[in-house]
Amino acid sequence: MNDEKLKIGKFEFSSRLIIGTGKYANFDIMEKAHEASGAEVVTVAIRRINFNNKEENILEHINKNKMTILPNTAGCYTAEEAIRTARLAKELGLPEWVKLEVIGDKKTLMPDNEETLKAAKVLVKEGFTVLPYTNDDIVACKKFEEAGAAAVMPLGAPIGSGQGILNPNNIKIILENAKVPIIVDAGVGTASDAVIAMELGADGVLLNTGVALAGDPVRMARAMKLAVESGRDAFLAGRIPKKLYASASSPIEGVIR
Amino acid sequence: MKLIINGKEKVAECESLSDLLNELNLKLDAVAVELNKNIVHRENFDNTKLRDNDKLEIVTVVGGG
Repeated sequence: MNDEKLKIGKFEFSSRLIIGTGKYANFDIMEKAHEASGAEVVTVAIRRINFNNKEENILEHINKNKMTILPNTAGCYTAEEAIRTARLAKELGLPEWVKLEVIGDKKTLMPDNEETLKAAKVLVKEGFTVLPYTNDDIVACKKFEEAGAAAVMPLGAPIGSGQGILNPNNIKIILENAKVPIIVDAGVGTASDAVIAMELGADGVLLNTGVALAGDPVRMARAMKLAVESGRDAFLAGRIPKKLYASASSPIEGVIR
Repeated sequence: MKLIINGKEKVAECESLSDLLNELNLKLDAVAVELNKNIVHRENFDNTKLRDNDKLEIVTVVGGG
């Protein structure tokens, strides 16, 4: 069935699932999970080269014909670190867009919106397509939109926690007011979490741990693909209102007595 | 010459940035380099001279979410 494409700046995608490349047991499982997910965007991180333990190049394990690489600034704690990381990603030949993440607290990995906003403004000016990761907070999301973010990515729950969409009402409020795509990023632990995000009207879901650390990552990747599609269809179809009392599905008249 | 590479001190005998990257056995197309917090574009690796106490960040792409 027809659906419009997910448009983020100059990028366009048929799939509304964005998947990560972290925490997989090995590249083989990751490649198979990516394939099963149908995702057209994969996130990567930028890190210092480890001279003691040179690892295989992950880019050789990403199907670049099917997937666009989205570099993140994960692990950055200041606007400056995030800006430098985005520039380095561009220098590595990756597309000029960035999942902008500036963390403010080590234990919860909650975003530092002040620093993220500073970085967003600089990177937008430099021509990057900026996708900031932020709280499920309408005010923060609005500020990023005003700063020129191409999409805003509120969290469902803390990164890697798998707690699901903790505050669906907040996500709904953000969605009702947003003028740019809203991607629910972080917290999606299982298929129903992705369905809920999409049923609320989210434009997409970004996840990593929920698939990478699942018992069978490839099967979970497929589950997430179906969940995102299913939730999207349910949103587009329009659900029935919830009612307190029953309403018979079969005719009330003509029952034998 | 003493350099700070990825936060660690290293003594290296090299003139240019490409000398250093070769000495470190790195594939030039798989890395990006910052010299004293400024990006060095790939085409400038050859003509970028290194000085004592220069700070370098040499990065690559890894898995992430």
